[in-house]
Amino acid sequence: MAGKSGRTIAATPQTGLKQKLLSLEGALVIIFILINVFGRVLSPNYNLSNVMRESPRYLAEIFMLFGMGFILVLGDIDISVGSIVCLSATIGCLTSNAGLPMGLAILITLLTGLCCGMINGFIATRFTELPTMIVTLGTQIIFRGIAEVSLGSGGSASLKDYEGIGILRAKVGPIPLAFFLIIICAVIFVIVLSRTTFGRHLYAIGSSKTAAQYAGVEVQKIRFFCFTLIGFLAGICGLFILASTYGANTTTGQGFEMEVIAMCVFGGIATTGGKGNLVGAFIASLVIVCLRIALGQINMNTQLILVIIGAMLIISVLVPSFRQRFLTLKKK
Amino acid sequence: MKKKVISVLLCVAMATGILAGCAAVPTATAPAADAAPAEEAAADEAAPAAEGAGTFAIVTKSAGNPFMDRLGTGFEEVIKAAGGEVVRKDPESATADAQIAVIQSLISQGVDTIAISANDANALISVCNEARDAGIKVLTLDSDVDPSARALFCNQAGVEAVGQQLIDAVYDLTGGEGQYAILSATSQATNQNAWIDAMKAISEGDDKYSKIELVEVAYGDDEPQKSTDQTQALLQNYPDLKVICAPTTVGIAAAAKVLQDQKSSVKLTGLGLPSEMAEYIGDDDAHSCPYMFLWNPIDLGRLAGYASLALYNGEITGAVGDTFEAATLESSPYTVVDNGAGTEVILGPPFKFDPSNIDEWKEVY
Repeated sequence: MAGKSGRTIAATPQTGLKQKLLSLEGALVIIFILINVFGRVLSPNYNLSNVMRESPRYLAEIFMLFGMGFILVLGDIDISVGSIVCLSATIGCLTSNAGLPMGLAILITLLTGLCCGMINGFIATRFTELPTMIVTLGTQIIFRGIAEVSLGSGGSASLKDYEGIGILRAKVGPIPLAFFLIIICAVIFVIVLSRTTFGRHLYAIGSSKTAAQYAGVEVQKIRFFCFTLIGFLAGICGLFILASTYGANTTTGQGFEMEVIAMCVFGGIATTGGKGNLVGAFIASLVIVCLRIALGQINMNTQLILVIIGAMLIISVLVPSFRQRFLTLKKK
Repeated sequence: MKKKVISVLLCVAMATGILAGCAAVPTATAPAADAAPAEEAAADEAAPAAEGAGTFAIVTKSAGNPFMDRLGTGFEEVIKAAGGEVVRKDPESATADAQIAVIQSLISQGVDTIAISANDANALISVCNEARDAGIKVLTLDSDVDPSARALFCNQAGVEAVGQQLIDAVYDLTGGEGQYAILSATSQATNQNAWIDAMKAISEGDDKYSKIELVEVAYGDDEPQKSTDQTQALLQNYPDLKVICAPTTVGIAAAAKVLQDQKSSVKLTGLGLPSEMAEYIGDDDAHSCPYMFLWNPIDLGRLAGYASLALYNGEITGAVGDTFEAATLESSPYTVVDNGAGTEVILGPPFKFDPSNIDEWKEVY
């Protein structure tokens, strides 16, 4: 593996156990444990079966976390995913109601997400001068607009064949199917981002697009792929939302994009690109979900819960920069 | 050296953290392992409590909505008087999605009844069924869900009665001919849509209304700013507009402010809260709203409170013909009727607020 310089990849500093515990992920695990203890102490109803029963809506959201992690590492952003969730759930619901078999409707739901992602990817890679924030702001409005038009004046559609979609609500004991899928996704995406060439390319692009380009990384192809991927994941999210609400309406998925971005940032992924990993983001998402469920069960004012999550988010972004400052001060 | 001390200290802190975590893990997971028995135990506990107070929940449409606040006030008053415990939940946004999260949380808490003002008739069906399967009585007030998913709907007024009163007000204010527009809440708000449909049906079915023309139904989504924007758009797009009818308390307040600020000749009517609308109600040109209607939201909350208690005590099941007492309400006792789709109780006819009585009512709610 030794290059011309004589250095090897193995020569990159290895992190010890101590470092791992001190890292953001270690801190997040501790916060996660503390929140569960806290939930258990405060609310007698905070137990596995109740948390799992309340979780499907949040689990659906976590699917998008992995794709969003990729996009943010690339240094891009996608704020249209909430609308993709709405559109794919709407199309899935309407096609099933039109008499198509459920299997086909599920496929169409996923394809809708995929196509929306491809549209985002196409615009973002073909017109690289446009910031992705603006591209996806545009498609956010367009996708939700299409969903609203399809839903008609009522603004909501309910699934007639809700037996068919029941398979997506299947549970093993108290644990919903979606949870297992999430774990599988987490393992795959974490490995892809941290252990493969593709993952390395993502970090390279996020650090410097130009440098990556000169190093022979197919920047635009990879960006297109990532936008398509998150579109597809939003389709999966839409599917599970459809399965848990038996329908779609014009507010389905509203605000999901920001919640997912918040989970990523809380988990240490920088919106400027090239930094962070999915392990942190995944643990952070579980922290936020458990916190919301626990605070909900003690009947805390829902607006206050949002305030707390917002404050946590800012603190989590500030802590690493303070630590950096502290370390540089000490070196002097 | 200093560095070492700090790192040792941090390590110790971490270790204690982890130990605490490990020690706590059994507590956190233990109930999970025997979740089912725990639930049974909870059910056993709930059974003897049946003679006692009980816990009654109310789920509003959104936070910071004065109408919803009053519903909560009335509900709370009745339940507390009966010795029950009240859980009031506002969803984090005015969407069905946010309401689902809130209702799920209430199911976890094992409350006895849930009264919901629904943001969407369809999206809440599955969560309401889940609540029912968990032994919770579900009823709706103000805005209904699909009748299959609840025991009873506490209706503020018959749909027909509201539609009739609103269209008559429009007829009166336009002078029998001219253009009018409707400023509604969200496009899927169950009750607003029902009233608007009733208005359309009545005006199409009777020649008396043939000369008044509905130009647009605008949606302000029950947000003050969006309602203001929509009102301004209506004024711009339809210079001949004579009347705006806003069957939503947020919409009517926003529209009233726009019309009065712009000294517009367009008149306003609809459904509004007296305390918010007092400064706009008057017969002269300086005021934008000659009169409007509403039921008493505190009374509606009370009605839902009595209905919750009756469902909980087993006095009623929500079937047609069931009756229950509502001590502090004038129209008591109430009888459950069929509204064509499901069962409901009707609070009473809408009340008219005009310059003669507004000063008295603005103090009340």
